Amino acid sequence: MTKRQNEDDIVRVDFGFKRLLAETVEGDLANFCYQCGACVGDCPAATYSEEFNPREIMLKVLYGLEDELLGPDSVIWECTNCYACHERCPQQVKPVEIVISLKNMLAARGDAPDVVNRVIHTFETTGRTVPYSPAIDKQRAKFGLPPMGEVPMDEIQALLEPATEGEAT
Amino acid sequence: MKRFAFFPGCLIPARHPAMEFAIRETLPKLDIELVDLEGASCCPDPIYFKSKDKLSWLAVAARNLCLAEELGVDLVTNCSGCTATLSETYHMLHDDPDVKDQVNQRLAKIGKTYKGTSKIRHIATVVRDEAGYEKIRNSVTHPLVGLKVAIHYGCHLLKPSKIMNVDNPDDPSVLENLIRALGAEPVRHRNWYLCCGKACQNEDIPNNMMHDLLGSVHDEQADVLGMICPTCFGQFDHGQMKIAKLFEEDFHTPPVYYFQLLALAQGVPYDQLGFQKQRFKPTVLQQFEEAAAPPA
Ligand code: SF4
Ligand code: SF4
Repeated sequence: MTKRQNEDDIVRVDFGFKRLLAETVEGDLANFCYQCGACVGDCPAATYSEEFNPREIMLKVLYGLEDELLGPDSVIWECTNCYACHERCPQQVKPVEIVISLKNMLAARGDAPDVVNRVIHTFETTGRTVPYSPAIDKQRAKFGLPPMGEVPMDEIQALLEPATEGEAT
Repeated sequence: MKRFAFFPGCLIPARHPAMEFAIRETLPKLDIELVDLEGASCCPDPIYFKSKDKLSWLAVAARNLCLAEELGVDLVTNCSGCTATLSETYHMLHDDPDVKDQVNQRLAKIGKTYKGTSKIRHIATVVRDEAGYEKIRNSVTHPLVGLKVAIHYGCHLLKPSKIMNVDNPDDPSVLENLIRALGAEPVRHRNWYLCCGKACQNEDIPNNMMHDLLGSVHDEQADVLGMICPTCFGQFDHGQMKIAKLFEEDFHTPPVYYFQLLALAQGVPYDQLGFQKQRFKPTVLQQFEEAAAPPA
């Protein structure tokens, strides 16, 4: 048996980061990944991008490599949300949900991409993801459709606030 | 008449009213009644808002489901994204009592409780299961004979199959059968399982993907690309202009939302279906206006 040449060969697991991830809804599922790679074959982002690979993302999650997962070079926004990995994973890891949990961590730090932030802002202020304009109701009228309904924003905003302290994120 | 709460979402009523019009025109002819959901919000979307905060996303989705529960009916969606959000919420709140508890604590603030009594049905499965292909076929007055419709299932209609419960994601048939019921010919091109790429934030990926997909539709000489999701539709209509420029290749493949095709086959004139607003207009459909079936 060969002995490790030096300490640098040893990857250290960042348990602190993994605990934070596990606090997000479904973020704890990552631990069941046994690195089989079944999630890679049907992944369109992996097919069309050299740098994106859901199995590698899961490996980094298992080690807790926060800088690579959430740093400026993070590839997680390349995921197309297609759910093929969720379909394929024999361990019910739901890799796409782990990617989304990672995105939740970035969003909480204010580090989501601008286009994502714009849609989120529209939803949080209007209750819809397409901003309302009178032109919309005019177009609808041409098809004999009633105007867009009202969204009770007081209710939506109440739901966006945690009910208790220490609620999962 | 079977009744359903109608959850139109944001994209179809705001950006594609022609699709909503087609749904409201065609479903009564299949004995399906839609009840409007007062006060419904965005589902919320499974791409952007879910990326921000999953628990808030679940809570708002659960509120929408509560509205259908209050009416005592199942809920029908016309967008694959809404279907994904609402079905996933339904399943997660069923499987995880802790998350359900947290969601209900938030809902208590607005005087609501999520129970899990209304199921979520994508409109394609409602017409398949409640009406059936035979009834759809019988509702057709202007059969689309000779029309080749390439199929695009999109992702969220089929996957994850345990949650969506629609069809076999590796070999689905619902869209093909729905197209066949109109007298048209469905075409499964070699990239039929590809995604539209809308959620991806690295443009190169969806660009190359759409280029490959449109290329395979072109090779099959299909007349239109049939789909059941407004997000995919936007990618292949607006997005196709970008692809044509970028790759200097104009495949000119008009996308068509299935229920507009059904409306046309049921005799709604081409001009009333909003096709002229598309970037890529399916003018090939105009010929079917005159070709009414001879009276029986
Ligand atoms: S399919 Fe599941 S278990 Fe296999 S590598 Fe991917 S996430 Fe891990
Ligand atoms: S959801 Fe994302 S990671 Fe999973 S297969 Fe699709 S693109 Fe790949």
